[in-house]
Amino acid sequence: MHIPPWFWYVAVVLIFWGGCGIFQKLATNRISAESSLIWLIVGFVLLEPLVYPGRALLHYSKQNIMWGLLSGALSNLGAWGLYAAMKSGGKASIVAPFCALYPLVVVVLAPILLHESITKLQGLGVICGLVAVVLLSV
Amino acid sequence: MIINSPFKARWVWYCLLCVLLWGPYTIVAKLGSREIPATTMQFLFTIGSLPVGLALLAVRKFKLEKDGKGIFHATFTGFLSGIGGMGLFAAYGSGGNTAVITTASSLYPMVTVVLAVLILRERLTWIQVVGLAFATAAFVLFSL
Repeated sequence: MHIPPWFWYVAVVLIFWGGCGIFQKLATNRISAESSLIWLIVGFVLLEPLVYPGRALLHYSKQNIMWGLLSGALSNLGAWGLYAAMKSGGKASIVAPFCALYPLVVVVLAPILLHESITKLQGLGVICGLVAVVLLSV
Repeated sequence: MIINSPFKARWVWYCLLCVLLWGPYTIVAKLGSREIPATTMQFLFTIGSLPVGLALLAVRKFKLEKDGKGIFHATFTGFLSGIGGMGLFAAYGSGGNTAVITTASSLYPMVTVVLAVLILRERLTWIQVVGLAFATAAFVLFSL
């Protein structure tokens, strides 16, 4: 079994985002999902002093800086969409698995925009992963 | 016989919007992470999040609930999410396949499910058990 380098970084994602699920639930038991998203962004802001790059930021290309900024806007607009879906009558048991299918968009876009391809085994892994994420989000 | 189209429901469009925004989010995250380190990407991500937060505040007419525990939990969620986000940027920056990394990282509900059992004393449903089995299979396949 070969463990690729990205796996360890993804393990960090799984642990911290997995933990988020618990605190998000505790938060939305007491405040609305929209308020929770606003305070979540405040939580991001609290991290800013720790990740402030200083003058190093000037060394990166404007295009890549734009991608970084856009990632924040798209991610949070998407989260707003999810909360709006639940607020406008969508059942959480349907909305959450539906929105969890976003990797499908990446599977379609990555070969076109990033010129990446996946092996058959990875493709099978992606299918298993999508089934898993839908079942776990129900 | 009248069949109601699911596309007449507004929430379906919001779901589609979410999926269509989160997909490109990962693509731009990958593009930026090829040059910019994970911590700086997180810095930029937060700056990019601020207009959305302000827009949400404006929609709510700058009125928020004042439940201390709720605010603490939501803010702490953001703090944890930011650290996890840096992990994702680092994974993209390491040169791995974007579709594989995105799918693997989207499996975080499996940790939530396990933590919910351990911390919140929730019970696993059989659907979640099957989901955990598929998640395990996905990770095994990614590591072959």
